[in-house]
Amino acid sequence: MSKIIKFAMMGFALAFFAWGCSKEKPETDPNPKTAEAPADSLLNLDALIADTLSADSLARLEAERLEAERARLEEMINRLMTEDVYFDYDRSDLTENAKRLLAQVAEILVNETRFIVTVEGHTDARGTEDYNISLGARRSTVVRDFLVAYGVDAGRLMAVSYGKERPKVQGSDEAAYSKNRRAHFRVSIANNE
Amino acid sequence: MNKIKLLFVFAALMLAVPSFAAIDTIAVDVGISVFQTMPIGVVPFEEEGKIKWTSEAPHLILARDANLSGRFEAVPSDQFDLVLFSKKRARQYVTGNATKLSNGKIKLDCYLYAAETKDLLLGESYTVKPYDVRQAVHSFFDKVVYRLFGERGVATTKLAYVSKIDGTKQVVISDYDGFSRRQITRDSSINMMPVWQKNNKGLVYVNFRNQRPNLYAITFGGKETPLFTQFKQTFSPAVNPKTGELLFSVTDGGKTEIYRGDMKTGSAQKFLHLKSNQVSPSWSPFASEVLFTSDRGGSPQVYAVGKDGSDVRRITYMGHYNERASWSPEGDRIVYTSMDDGKMNIYTCALDGTDIIQLTSNAGNNEHPTWSPDGKLIAFASDRGGNYQIYIMRKDGSSVTRITSGTENTSPTWSWFFDEKK
Repeated sequence: MSKIIKFAMMGFALAFFAWGCSKEKPETDPNPKTAEAPADSLLNLDALIADTLSADSLARLEAERLEAERARLEEMINRLMTEDVYFDYDRSDLTENAKRLLAQVAEILVNETRFIVTVEGHTDARGTEDYNISLGARRSTVVRDFLVAYGVDAGRLMAVSYGKERPKVQGSDEAAYSKNRRAHFRVSIANNE
Repeated sequence: MNKIKLLFVFAALMLAVPSFAAIDTIAVDVGISVFQTMPIGVVPFEEEGKIKWTSEAPHLILARDANLSGRFEAVPSDQFDLVLFSKKRARQYVTGNATKLSNGKIKLDCYLYAAETKDLLLGESYTVKPYDVRQAVHSFFDKVVYRLFGERGVATTKLAYVSKIDGTKQVVISDYDGFSRRQITRDSSINMMPVWQKNNKGLVYVNFRNQRPNLYAITFGGKETPLFTQFKQTFSPAVNPKTGELLFSVTDGGKTEIYRGDMKTGSAQKFLHLKSNQVSPSWSPFASEVLFTSDRGGSPQVYAVGKDGSDVRRITYMGHYNERASWSPEGDRIVYTSMDDGKMNIYTCALDGTDIIQLTSNAGNNEHPTWSPDGKLIAFASDRGGNYQIYIMRKDGSSVTRITSGTENTSPTWSWFFDEKK
């Protein structure tokens, strides 16, 4: 949001700078504060309005671009957070399917360097709470190690375990179990500003 | 007469044993069983003035304590009935007087009599608020146990367990019989794996507020302290009954290992130096040895090790999933959970892993066994009734009694003995 405002202000400044040039008045200081001086003159009002409008549309364009970017990131995050990596019973090694999916995930993370990812390891409901936390930890670590090996900065990846505490699907049959034996991505965006 | 009957029973047992011997997981436990519980008469209290009991009348609490104790079998009777007591071989009976006092309190005079002679063996008087009647009666019952067995009873002990409250796992405590329940944790993430601190000063448990498992200590006043924050993920706490020291699992880089730590100073060192993952530590009664689960053999199995981390030896070999072992307070048996065909069941075995006895079967999942501090009983969680609830059984698997109801209750841990207040 603050970016949009900044850009809009820059738009104003540029517009007034351009206006100054067109009138062939030497303008030494193209600062936003100089914009106030010409505004005193009623004669220049029309031109000022026109320029403001164009700055407005520039800002709007920029806002749209940011909005599109935000939507793209959001979609990517949503995808990361819905695409779970599945495991076989009591196993923490990656299946071929899992590796294919993780390669795509890694591709995204290599490009989107602001993404910070927590890999959650989960298990199905069978077995004890204690053993399942250690099993979930192995799963999340295997996923994290794969992504690091692919080139994702290890500092942006954290591996944690929920054991059997947060099933995705309720039920005590293989259909539910197979959905719950998973590694899940939780994504946040690093604030660089 | 009596002796002949006992002989007969003994002969029947001897005959029965060989036929079971071929099946490793079934055997007959001759520790406590229905043959060896002591019948005890239970007679309603004489009431002076109309008394409204907040939960149950005292004699019903006593009968329940007797039947749950693993030591007695209650012989209820509306009044003293020597014929009935003799027939049922109840040599003693309990009863009392209850008086409602003008200040709203209740005076309980509790008596243990010899049935034949009507000699008074034990008399105790309590003046309590109506809500504390259960506590007073439990306290009297433990004195009866001490008078007749010379051992401490568990009627005054408590359980900590996990209860789903508004969809969130919370740690609660209650009397050992499921009454007088109190919620201990309030955090809205996940609260689990409660264990009792030394002297029942508070609990240690696992919480997920940081989106990962971490250990916390909590007092019964609700004061919380994060434990061992130098580690990212900690769970599986086990309190040393002698020193209060903690064993717990630490997960780092995909490997889970057992550490030994001091709750007060926060310092902790690696307890075992093994390549495998290790969870679920459990101290022996005198803290000289430790049980734990390791996947070093490719599947989770129970191992024992000296308290200095030396001399690791494998205990369980049968089956592919043996976990959460815990040492009986008497020191002679180990109880653990085993999974077969996706179903969890509770077993005990001798310290060398032999003499395996299956305590639960054909009744849903049965898991998270915990010994009563006198070693007579095992509390556990089972979904046999549709959803998970806490049950108590005798150490031979007999006399299974459900003690909780409502939404899911899991992961019971029995308290230590409470020090008697004089």
